[in-house]
Amino acid sequence: MPRRGLCGGLLKFIREDDLEQIRFAVIEVLSEVGVLMEYRPALELLADHGAEVDWAHSIVRIPEGLLQKALLTAPSRFTLYGKTPEWDVKVDLERVYTIGGSCALSVLDLDGVHRPAVRKDLVDLTRLLEAMPNLDIMHQIVVPSDVPELGYELINFATCYSISKRNYYSQAQSAESVRDQVRMAAVFQGSEEAVRRRPTFTEVVCMVSPLKHEKQNSEVLMESARWGIPLYIEVDALCGATTPAPIAGTLVESGANVLAGVVLAQLVNPGVPCIYSIASGIMDMSNGAYSGAAPETTLIHAATAQVAHRFGLPYQGGTGIDAKLPDAQAGYERALQVLTNILAGTNFVHLSYGMMEQMLLASYEQVVIDEEIIGAAYRIARGFEVNDYTLSVDLLARIGPLGGHFLRERETREFYRKDRWLPTITDRNTWDTWQAAGGKDMRQAANERARAILAREEPWAVTPEQAEEIERIAQDGVARAQARRQQLQ
Amino acid sequence: MQLGTTGGESAVLRALTESVIGGEAEQTMSLARQALELGLEPMRAIDEGLIPGIMEVGRRFESHEFFLPELIMAAEAMKKGMAVLEEAIVARGGKREALATVVLGTVKGDIHDIGKSIVGAMLTAHGFVVVDLGVDVPAERFLTEVEKQGAQVLGMSALLPTTMPYMQHVIEELTRRGLRDRVKVVVGGAPVTPAYAERIGADGYGDDAISGVRVVRSLLGLA
Repeated sequence: MPRRGLCGGLLKFIREDDLEQIRFAVIEVLSEVGVLMEYRPALELLADHGAEVDWAHSIVRIPEGLLQKALLTAPSRFTLYGKTPEWDVKVDLERVYTIGGSCALSVLDLDGVHRPAVRKDLVDLTRLLEAMPNLDIMHQIVVPSDVPELGYELINFATCYSISKRNYYSQAQSAESVRDQVRMAAVFQGSEEAVRRRPTFTEVVCMVSPLKHEKQNSEVLMESARWGIPLYIEVDALCGATTPAPIAGTLVESGANVLAGVVLAQLVNPGVPCIYSIASGIMDMSNGAYSGAAPETTLIHAATAQVAHRFGLPYQGGTGIDAKLPDAQAGYERALQVLTNILAGTNFVHLSYGMMEQMLLASYEQVVIDEEIIGAAYRIARGFEVNDYTLSVDLLARIGPLGGHFLRERETREFYRKDRWLPTITDRNTWDTWQAAGGKDMRQAANERARAILAREEPWAVTPEQAEEIERIAQDGVARAQARRQQLQ
Repeated sequence: MQLGTTGGESAVLRALTESVIGGEAEQTMSLARQALELGLEPMRAIDEGLIPGIMEVGRRFESHEFFLPELIMAAEAMKKGMAVLEEAIVARGGKREALATVVLGTVKGDIHDIGKSIVGAMLTAHGFVVVDLGVDVPAERFLTEVEKQGAQVLGMSALLPTTMPYMQHVIEELTRRGLRDRVKVVVGGAPVTPAYAERIGADGYGDDAISGVRVVRSLLGLA
């Protein structure tokens, strides 16, 4: 059975007529202001299909008709494949999933030490994430300091893809890197043709605000589209700095920026899945920092769900939190962010595990705490059913008002198990009982749980021989990337 | 030579255990009757059929595989099965020795019933005779029943911080009447703590139904 997430979308921040205003504004910016694309083949393809290109400035203006055509071929439902069918994720505009990651440079380890991430951390954090029941999509949570910067994504691919059964959320620094990744996936899937038919990984392409697609972005986007690899087309806006300070203006910029990528991908390969994505945040005006957990950031992310869905595209939002320790700040930031995004119908809640300090830091303990927060948030979002059975009038009549209770009734036992969320590291005991059990706070409980999970040696998703072959392709790719750079110098 | 356990006997014992774990009261009763029809000693059906079931339920409750509804339903099933088997013991002119008699109640001014009743069900399931006085029980009633039943244990429950002190009042009354040494006093309820139990002169404190049974057993030297 594939994974089918619960349906979000109860919460709407944009009124219907305002949503139309936003849509018109996006179309106006796309067709009259345009987007800068550095990659010449992208401009040529768009020009061939009727876009207006200002060749002197590499700006492309996309008319509404071309956009509409792309939105017709871009699917609103599709499957992201896992290595086994139970990890397939059925995507549409309503269901909600989570993504781990992404790309922290430091870790807060289980001894409480803050230090640069190394490849061992990538292995262990991926193993830890793999044990989290509510995680749907795997992503590289750290960029290790002991792997080369050029081609690091190949090493990360080899590590995460080999460990995890989940669909892998990858990224690439070049078209060649995409091809290397197809080769690595083919080791597990049997052939490149099998990867093309049922890709077990996806690519994220991160556009620059305002309205800029760098050369590498378009190159990776076009190569992935050719292979039929689903794309997260992402904008990382800094509201008030790289996009307008009003949230509405930020939504407009992101819409135009993302949709320019969607049009390009659909021209390369009509029907390739495109996920409207943001990892935006407000700029904290006191220090210029990106804030992933500010309430305004959460508002941007929740509201963008409505905009993406208006254009008929699944949506990825959600971002890291700002706290440095798994403390009260971390708890409140993550809880508000995750719950709001789920309720808003964010189809992929990104960076939802362990990411702190404006996406610079990954915490082992916070991974486990975030699983707990997501579990509770999912339970709220699932709501409750009203029907003859749940209204329980017959049961109420049976027990009556004569001082009975419901705890011993069969109906209670049958219902509560399906209905209740069972916490794992949350403590609901009284002081004395809690003290008697060691008086641990949530961080200590998470620490113990993480250690217990890591002590188990679960088999990797691929065989040791496949892992070895995948690693060889990654190392070979890194060597070729280095050689190319030297040639250029 | 002792008769070996036939396939039918061990199957029905296993089924009894399973039906207690599953909280199937009706099924436990009919399996108990089936055991008797097969010629099983009723004591053996209790010791090797019902009791392993309720012990397993206690284990699962403590390891958070089971929760209160499963616990109560298992206790109900245990009670129903026990009734059938005890009847058979009596019919054969025997008597099942109760471990001890426990008088139980929620103190005066407090009408919280559920927690106390769960403790009662678990004590019954573990072989105690439980005299449940219900809720809003005045000191006089506790004292009379302890004396009348010859109870070895008095269990009191209070869910309100305002009714907690009444438990101390009952203990003082026991002392005044010269009954205190005849009975072990165990207290429980959400606001009650081990320290409070000690301060008011109780002998034990139970945090939940399972630990309640454990505390009673240990006070009586049965652990």
